[in-house]
Amino acid sequence: MRRLDPRAHLVELALLAVLAVAPVLLPPLGFSHDLLSRALNWALFGLGLDILFGLAGLLSFGQAAFYGMGGFVAAYLLVSGTIQSVWLALLVGTVSAGVLGLAVGWLAVRRIGIYFAMITLAFGQMAYFIENGPLSDYTGGENGIAGVPVPVLGFGTYAVRITAGLPMYALLAAAFFLGFVLARRIARSPVGLILRAVKENTGRVAMLGHDVPAYKLAAFAIAALYAGLAGAMLGPFQSYMPPDAFALETSGQLVVQTIVGGVGTLVGPLVGAALWLWLRDNLQLIPGFGPLWKLVLGLAFIGLVMGLRRGICGEILHRWRVRRDAAALRMARARTAAIEAAGGTPATPATPVAAEVALAIPRPAIDGRAAEAEIALEAQGLARHYGGLKAVDGVSFRVRRGSIHAVIGPNGAGKSTLFKMLSDEVAPSAGAVLLFGSPLTGSGVSRAAQRGVAKSNQLNQLFLGLSVQENLRVAALSRSRGRFRLDLLRPADGRPEVEAQVAAMLTVLDLTERADTPASVLAYGEKRRLEIGMALATSPNVLLLDEPLAGMSLSERAATCALIRRIGRSCTVVLVEHDLDAVFGLAERITVLSEGRLLADGPSEAVRRDPAVQKAYLGAVQADAAETRESTHEPA
Amino acid sequence: MPSTAALLSQAFNGLALGSLLALVASGLTIILGTLGVLNFAHGALFAVGAYTAFVMMQATHSFVLALLGGSAVMLIVGFAMERLVIRHFYARPDEDQILVTYGIGIVLVEGLRAYFGGNSQRVPVPSWGVGATKLGFMIYPTYRLQLIGIVAALLVGLYLVLYRTSVGLVVRAGIENAGMVGILGIDVRRTFLFVFAVGIVAVGLAGMLYAPVVAVTPDMGASFMVQSFVVIVLGGLGSFPGAVIGGLIAGEIISLTSAFDSAYSEVMLYGLMALVLVARPQGLFGTEGRV
Amino acid sequence: MSLLEVEGIDALYGDSHVLFDVSLRVEQNEVVALLGRNGAGKTTTLRTLMGVLKPRTGAIRLAGLPIHGLPPARIARAGMQLVPEERAVFGGLTVEENLRVARLTAGKPWPLDRIWEVFPRLKERRASRGRTLSGGEQQMLSIARALIRDPTLLLLDEPFEGLAPLIVLDLVALTRRLAAEGRTIVIVEQNVSAVLDLADRVYGFNNGHIVYEGQAADLRANPAPMRGFMGLAA
Repeated sequence: MRRLDPRAHLVELALLAVLAVAPVLLPPLGFSHDLLSRALNWALFGLGLDILFGLAGLLSFGQAAFYGMGGFVAAYLLVSGTIQSVWLALLVGTVSAGVLGLAVGWLAVRRIGIYFAMITLAFGQMAYFIENGPLSDYTGGENGIAGVPVPVLGFGTYAVRITAGLPMYALLAAAFFLGFVLARRIARSPVGLILRAVKENTGRVAMLGHDVPAYKLAAFAIAALYAGLAGAMLGPFQSYMPPDAFALETSGQLVVQTIVGGVGTLVGPLVGAALWLWLRDNLQLIPGFGPLWKLVLGLAFIGLVMGLRRGICGEILHRWRVRRDAAALRMARARTAAIEAAGGTPATPATPVAAEVALAIPRPAIDGRAAEAEIALEAQGLARHYGGLKAVDGVSFRVRRGSIHAVIGPNGAGKSTLFKMLSDEVAPSAGAVLLFGSPLTGSGVSRAAQRGVAKSNQLNQLFLGLSVQENLRVAALSRSRGRFRLDLLRPADGRPEVEAQVAAMLTVLDLTERADTPASVLAYGEKRRLEIGMALATSPNVLLLDEPLAGMSLSERAATCALIRRIGRSCTVVLVEHDLDAVFGLAERITVLSEGRLLADGPSEAVRRDPAVQKAYLGAVQADAAETRESTHEPA
Repeated sequence: MPSTAALLSQAFNGLALGSLLALVASGLTIILGTLGVLNFAHGALFAVGAYTAFVMMQATHSFVLALLGGSAVMLIVGFAMERLVIRHFYARPDEDQILVTYGIGIVLVEGLRAYFGGNSQRVPVPSWGVGATKLGFMIYPTYRLQLIGIVAALLVGLYLVLYRTSVGLVVRAGIENAGMVGILGIDVRRTFLFVFAVGIVAVGLAGMLYAPVVAVTPDMGASFMVQSFVVIVLGGLGSFPGAVIGGLIAGEIISLTSAFDSAYSEVMLYGLMALVLVARPQGLFGTEGRV
Repeated sequence: MSLLEVEGIDALYGDSHVLFDVSLRVEQNEVVALLGRNGAGKTTTLRTLMGVLKPRTGAIRLAGLPIHGLPPARIARAGMQLVPEERAVFGGLTVEENLRVARLTAGKPWPLDRIWEVFPRLKERRASRGRTLSGGEQQMLSIARALIRDPTLLLLDEPFEGLAPLIVLDLVALTRRLAAEGRTIVIVEQNVSAVLDLADRVYGFNNGHIVYEGQAADLRANPAPMRGFMGLAA
């Protein structure tokens, strides 16, 4: 058994201490035991929303559906006598809410932002009307369910009824504490890291090979389970299950409390709930002020969203972190400024480099007949039409295994669209892509990535809020864990092969000193390297690079070309690039596109001398000028 | 199986409800389309409209004056909201916009409750709308018929503003690409202010017109707001024709279902929405533009 | 006084397009081309001139009037007009409605007939919605929408991108006509041969810096300096 290091669990210990002393110290300040208990119930409910919104960035206005579901299932089972044990009823209620969460989530997670909020709100209302209408024989309709029994701990003569007051407080505190510990583990698990990445850039997470809808659905179901447990405990706690558990106001109150307390902090929901309930109970005592408490709260909420949008705990945590990281961040920024001022990273790597890029995680195996395949990637008559515009119009070519292959062509020739079809980001209007002889088209971008096709983008798609090593970790986790895995309790940095891969990539990219720097702070050239490095960190068989040199300084170009050459020793590379010097220096074969069609395809030197290519690519004036000059002096 | 007369009467109820929903949803959808803001205070503004009618009725004893005065009040409310709060949120994430408008909704509803109390208020049916009208095949409350007519006229008016004036031209261009409208020399912020205020007047008028039919309470707009969300999902976000047709469909679904079993009326509505989301997520009239 | 004076602007765009200390000038009746690789900062420069992006430092003057920091609408009314790379035709509006929107705030707008004269193709399609137009027609509409405002300075961002060669020829001819009429134009274009034919003067961009300034005629005669900012195997 692992020894518990108290320092690693400071937050948990602190929370435990606060929960223990709260019922002693807080009542004189207007926090009755009942109020604290209610706050804990709301806080448990809010933990789920904090995971859903704080971690995954999905704002739900329909959490009441799961709260009510858990509550009414448990209350009905107990009051009808179907189940005797309150504990079992809590379990069944929680699971029912989770199942409902899977169903609603399946529809909701396909959408984001405005759509997501509206869909969850509407399903919340649907649940409310079902509870009040067709199911009112079971739920008591507007009357709710009265007489819900309290839980009993122990057997026979030792049985302890957990009654209102301190015992109930202790039970709710224990539930919240366990929920908190679990939520913290989830936030620090690979799933938590991937959800944070989803919040930053959903598309890139899918490109790296993770099943984004499945992870979002998991977050949704987890939130529903938290809501279900909190709802199920409400009946026994109040010995009454109120119908307004399903109401829109419940969802709204949860959102407001969580935001006020601080979203993404996990203690925010508790602070927010305590504050809301305290204001309600105590402001109502002031004569003439009673009806105004919610108005005051609403105004405070608007102010909070306009100004301090991190919420109370979020703001405290943020300031603490800023102070803690100030020095490191200042240094990181200074370094970035120095790099930018020097016009890019110096081309002298600190350590001598190996000839090949060594990866800690093996590439996907190529089995059976494919193992002998000479052709890594094949485009068969690929076409993509947007309305009347034929961006790509029937392009076929083959990429030899282990080669560096370039695709060039004037702007608007269809290179980017072609590339997106190679990685199955965009579905072709006609034609297909084969990977080692078997069809790739139609599998979707995350499956394509799992099969060993990685792509770096023309415009950086980094997770700007994550550190450099976290960016790489998200990528490496996809090869190590597959498209989807619910390893909620494992730490994100707990896989040795992933950590070895991240360390190797940091060395390869010359970013080791920047491992803990947020990606947003990096210099442009460093961001560009990280963009390529993330694709490489998935241990691909085929690496697609879309304009890897775009915007780089001359020295950075040279360094990146050397890197691509090293990668090319052990991996098939296909690149789109405008810098023809670089292309002719790197690629063994070149495919030329013009206006969506294949213009030329062949060995680098043959393509270079092809007059049709010269004319299409450089334009008539250039080609003429080049011819006249060719005779006088050779280009470098 | 309900009788034909009962079904017909419910169909008319559906028309009345549907036209109100269309008015509420058109305000919501043009604000969403042009400004990109989903207004979670829309339900509260419906109630503000109804209370304005209540106050104006007491002061003037004329429903027409109440509608005119109420529209002026809603216009001011809309201007103030846009200038003081919404304007600062155009560049913020969707979630922030939703939260701040939700907060405004709380403040408005609680403001009404603090001032008027939690009990319901009654707005009398205007003198010209009292009683029932014989339609040959059935008898139907006169005011509800007039309500359908007035809302239809308002929607036609909104249509004319959007499709026959240069301001409407700018609004429709702005729904597609507000940035480009600015590049063409038009002050987008003024357009946004105008659109927001028009949207608020639309929902306020819906509240005023509905006031004589129901009990006026601070929370009366909540269900209308959620239903109008369903309407714009059905019709397609940002689509004015979609809001009108979607509103009528929603109104008929609610009313006709309750002719059979009222417990299922709203359930059917949300069920339809789920179906649309699965089968045609861009809505009936939406195009793959702004989602 | 030059029509457009840009002094030492710095601009940020997302995390990838950056301008460092860009200074340039455009004289009345001049056609100036901005050349450079993808991501070199040409489009960012045009967007900054138009006010879509705010420069962090530096000054921009149009006919002596400082315009940096103004919103795009004010800059447009001062006489500058950008035809953006993505064309940004209003797809739900008809061709004629697209043009009417553009006219609204123009000081001396062209009559529609003058647009129809220049673009007979658009006249045929005047009642069609923008989204039903072909790529070339959309580009024409986008340029027409700028011209109808009779701008003193026209900014064209990659007007020939993704168009069939015949249409490019048409558009080059049109641009040449506009230049011959004495219109001042700043053009960003990857099609080097087309743009060198059109331009009087050229600025070369690399990594957000201006690295070259010279006469287009000189570059036509000797393209060698372009290696530094176009990366061409010339």
